[in-house]
Amino acid sequence: MEDFVCPRCRTSKFQNPSMKMMVNVCGHGLCESCVDLLFLKGSGSCPECRIPLRRNNFRVQLFEDAGVEKEVDIRKRVLRDFNKKEEDFTSLQDYNDYLEEVETIIYNLTNDIDVLNTNKRIDQYKRDNKEQILKSKGKLGREEYELEELLELEKQREEERKKVIKIEEVEIKKKKIREKEALIDELMFSNADAKNIVDTFAQQAQQAKEEESKKVPQKVSQFSTGIQFGRQNQSTFLPVPTDDGPLYKYIPPEFPTDGPRPPNEIDVIEKNFLNHVRSETEQERAGGFKSNIACLRALQDAMMGLFHSKKSVVL
Amino acid sequence: MFPTSTQCKYWMFESEEDLNKLREKANSRHIQTYGKQVNDASKYEFFLTPEEEKIMVKRFELHLRDFCKRFQPPMPRYVVGTSFHYFKRFYINNSVMNYHPKEIMVTCIYLACKVEEFNVSIQQFVANIKGDREKATDIILNNELLLMEQLSFHLSIHNSYRPVEGLLIDIKSRTNLHDPERLRSGTEHFLERALLTDTILLYSPSQVALAAVLHAASKLQENLDSYVTDTLFGEDGRDKLSELIEAVRAIRSMVKMVDSVPDRNQQKILDKKLDKCRNPENNPDSEIYKKRMQAMLDEDDDVYHAIASHNYSMDNSALNMSIPASPEVA
Repeated sequence: MEDFVCPRCRTSKFQNPSMKMMVNVCGHGLCESCVDLLFLKGSGSCPECRIPLRRNNFRVQLFEDAGVEKEVDIRKRVLRDFNKKEEDFTSLQDYNDYLEEVETIIYNLTNDIDVLNTNKRIDQYKRDNKEQILKSKGKLGREEYELEELLELEKQREEERKKVIKIEEVEIKKKKIREKEALIDELMFSNADAKNIVDTFAQQAQQAKEEESKKVPQKVSQFSTGIQFGRQNQSTFLPVPTDDGPLYKYIPPEFPTDGPRPPNEIDVIEKNFLNHVRSETEQERAGGFKSNIACLRALQDAMMGLFHSKKSVVL
Repeated sequence: MFPTSTQCKYWMFESEEDLNKLREKANSRHIQTYGKQVNDASKYEFFLTPEEEKIMVKRFELHLRDFCKRFQPPMPRYVVGTSFHYFKRFYINNSVMNYHPKEIMVTCIYLACKVEEFNVSIQQFVANIKGDREKATDIILNNELLLMEQLSFHLSIHNSYRPVEGLLIDIKSRTNLHDPERLRSGTEHFLERALLTDTILLYSPSQVALAAVLHAASKLQENLDSYVTDTLFGEDGRDKLSELIEAVRAIRSMVKMVDSVPDRNQQKILDKKLDKCRNPENNPDSEIYKKRMQAMLDEDDDVYHAIASHNYSMDNSALNMSIPASPEVA
């Protein structure tokens, strides 16, 4: 509790339960109202260590120890540049060495040990690995990727559950209304003793309730897409869908020609149309432009629209 | 493919009368909007008649052809064909008095260069224009969008050149005509003149191409009739043959009519008349036009300033959020 005292105005969480501690990069806390007061202009210096700070960088203190906040900040900053992933190293030993170095740097910065040299080291690293930093900036590491996937799965599961619950609720509501109506009907039209009827209905309701509680919600083990919950299947491939519908049948597309039928691809070659066009150069062939395509297109264009009739034009 | 193209769907007309009707409509629409104070009887003393408009358009078609011929770097002919299509389409629904043909003409060519992937920059393009190049640049770029809008953004054009190639290949492959390459010069000449007529708005490109080839053949005293009737149309086109023969005949007679050279005296009179009656809102030399352009520019600036300052403030707040610290803090 003692940590929740603002070092400047001495307000504590005890006096003012709505007080919010804020923390900046230097790791020294301030309460919200002091931040408002001191950083009215947007920037100022920390009242404890006199480091220039910007107001926008203040945020609510998450950890009790403000030092941890400071470390989190530094870590974030350092890892922005030291963003190599395990995949970037050839051996585990190298990767571990690298991690060790990063941790040393973070530790030094957090505890103000040899700050000057450490910063130099960071700069040196930045210069040496400029390209690599830029490259891996957008890339998610394998771990992040897995984490993201996990989150996604969780979200999906949550949605599924919500849907089921909603449906169940509606069902229960409907059932209750039905039971009520049945009871009223029974009371209206039956000749039996009203008390008996009410008793039997109450009993039935009790029974139903017991049954309900016995019924353990069935555990769903996979999504509608067929992917299992959890991490047991590492591969992200979808199962091959089994199509039960009729087999796909290829129907060649019909093109309106509005003219005599132009020769087709086989005709162009067999009936010697190609003798009258320039054969393609090597470069053109590499690009996939063969002379028969050009020839075919010219012939098609020549025939298409020959039947074009002014009367058939719809404006 | 022509039968599925917008050219076939929206820009093929039934007859010359239809085209003339549309042009007359554009003419009277213009006079109605801008000549309310003029009474019906004397309106043509001030405004151009539809007939005069047509003469103007014809004249500028010739200009267009010559401009394209002189153009440096030399321009492929399909660009010329496409510009002709644009120019003709534009003046079906627009009056010469509203938009001056000399401005629309260069805009058409510029747009055609782009659409047909004949790469010239605007500087290169206006280097071909005599007179104030900066002004020409402004005119072209200002009119470009208008032109596209008037074309309903139907920009792809099927010219007759590829069908001609196809027909020549076909003739070489399926007839024993002696040296079909002889037909080429006559065909090209015919196609060039066909651009000056309304045929390209009435007949499909392949029909025009066939007419051109047949015309060239007849000039050389060759007969390709059996090729058309038996080889090209064959069994399945028997019933369509008469219509095609009719179309070819019509195209050839229309192209024959082209030759009339415009009368210089009449041209001058028309030019003067047009200078008086043209819509000042679209005349880059008029005060109204200049004012409007200036207003638009100012408006743009205002909008730009607003957006810029907004972006700037957004950037600032975003940057401050995302940069946790400067390195010297620790």
